[in-house]
Amino acid sequence: MSAAANKKLVQQVYEDAANRRGTTFYDNLADDGCWTVTGEYSWSRQFKGREAIMNGLMGHFRSLFHERPRTVAFNFIADGDFVAVEARGDNVTKSGQRYDNHYCMVFRIENGRIKEVKEYSDSALIERVLGPFPADRIAQNAN
Amino acid sequence: MSAADNKKLIEDLFVAIAAGNRTLFMETLADDVVMRVTGHYSWSRTFKGKEALIRGLYNYLATLVADGRRTIPFNIVAGGDHVVVEGVGEMQTRAGVPYNNDYCLIYRLKDGKIVEIREYCDSVLTEKILGPYRGPAAA
Repeated sequence: MSAAANKKLVQQVYEDAANRRGTTFYDNLADDGCWTVTGEYSWSRQFKGREAIMNGLMGHFRSLFHERPRTVAFNFIADGDFVAVEARGDNVTKSGQRYDNHYCMVFRIENGRIKEVKEYSDSALIERVLGPFPADRIAQNAN
Repeated sequence: MSAADNKKLIEDLFVAIAAGNRTLFMETLADDVVMRVTGHYSWSRTFKGKEALIRGLYNYLATLVADGRRTIPFNIVAGGDHVVVEGVGEMQTRAGVPYNNDYCLIYRLKDGKIVEIREYCDSVLTEKILGPYRGPAAA
């Protein structure tokens, strides 16, 4: 697919994310897709495969909120197989704390499937508001 | 300039930085450049203007880390006026502690100059190794 088509796909993913949906991401995620939480904090790891991403990472993340979390993108940059997205979260945790992280996500798209996602965000905010990534989720996702 | 020109410019800057030469980078900063350290941690703030950026961030960082600090890109994505750099920092503190953060840097260019930068990185690591921001821009 062209950079323009890849950009359109990722724009649809974030149109969903702004409206508390995840259909486009789920439908277009490659079975062997890999989501990397960059850095060296407790959430940092590679979530490999659909199960690890959807249940391991997303499942835990979503369990911390009453409503499905919302993320609003404001910048898309597409080049070849890559689409970078800058976005802001707009969320309140179950314990009532604001969780409005600043994200830069880099997607790699191969033949219309999302093969790779790299997440960069304010890890100090994650640890402070969401807490460490739980060990039992980690065990399911040994890499 | 085209996205391809912008990409080449940023690639050249990082090649120079990797070789220990920051001059080209400094020359490419617009006088009215705005840099935002994203997030909600102690370093998160907006540096407005080249002088404020150099004094508040680059010179402050130089007091904390050894000379020769550099970030090595492994992916550069360019579209329109923007260039995205994913890279790994190769730095150590003045006390010799390694500081190798994962960076995603977004540059906006205008007429061959950098007018906007946004930095995303592992803020836990920043605060753990470099401590909370205590530079001249601290309010």
